[in-house]
Amino acid sequence: MSIKDLNVGDAIEEQKNQVGKYQPIYYAGAGGDFNPIHIDPEFGNMVGLGGNILQGLCTMSFVAKAVVDNAGGDPEALKRIKVRFAKPVKPLDTVVVSGKVVEKSDTEAKIELSADTKNGEVNVISNAFAVVRL
Amino acid sequence: MVKLVDTKFIGKKYGPTKYEVGREKIKEFAKATGDMNPRYLDFDAAEKEGRPVIAPPMFAVVYAKDVIEQMLLDRELALNLMMLVHGEQEFEFGVTVKSGDLITTEGVIKDIFNKKGKDFVIEETVSKNQNGEMTVRGLLTFVIRGS
Repeated sequence: MSIKDLNVGDAIEEQKNQVGKYQPIYYAGAGGDFNPIHIDPEFGNMVGLGGNILQGLCTMSFVAKAVVDNAGGDPEALKRIKVRFAKPVKPLDTVVVSGKVVEKSDTEAKIELSADTKNGEVNVISNAFAVVRL
Repeated sequence: MVKLVDTKFIGKKYGPTKYEVGREKIKEFAKATGDMNPRYLDFDAAEKEGRPVIAPPMFAVVYAKDVIEQMLLDRELALNLMMLVHGEQEFEFGVTVKSGDLITTEGVIKDIFNKKGKDFVIEETVSKNQNGEMTVRGLLTFVIRGS
């Protein structure tokens, strides 16, 4: 089901992202954010994070991917995206991205988005939305 | 509450920086984020059809990185990186970025304010391709906890 076929109030297809143990390191190489809180578990412990945490922008990529995949896999459909990084994501977490259509016109749809870990107990992305070209 | 970051830096500019988009970097980025969309990764199909592959929308973080780094490491602004977190991020997308594009990015501090003992620094980045078309406008909110 593509966003085109959804109505206001309908949920988009939920997406699960299993964060790899070394994903923050791969993302550091790909995205360029080598902050030690992301790549060094010892440093993460020292600053009270209980280990290293995933780059927020990597989590934002999961959210963007969920929107694109729900728009028929067309990356060019994504017009706008906004997120608030509410809580850190850790290696081996499962990030579940969900959303629902809150506005729809002939040309665009607005999707309210959220992402959770720990089976919905920790909200990691809040105050988030995307605008999709239809 | 003492203001930690001086509001006189509102309007300060960074860049322009340039970034040339390559398909191997697109592939590396897509894989690192667990995104196997063939629009980014199917080089064979792209070659067959005589077109470049496209970059994921979030690839904006790669080509806009240098102007963000310039602000974070600006000695005059002197942000306390130990206390800084990325609070919010917004991207507004223009034309699609493709392998081979040369992207120019400029940044500006849009706002600095203090709320509940925390400083908020907002940087806007605007990226354009080699034809002067906007590819993305980013709005980054950094939050600095008072120490």
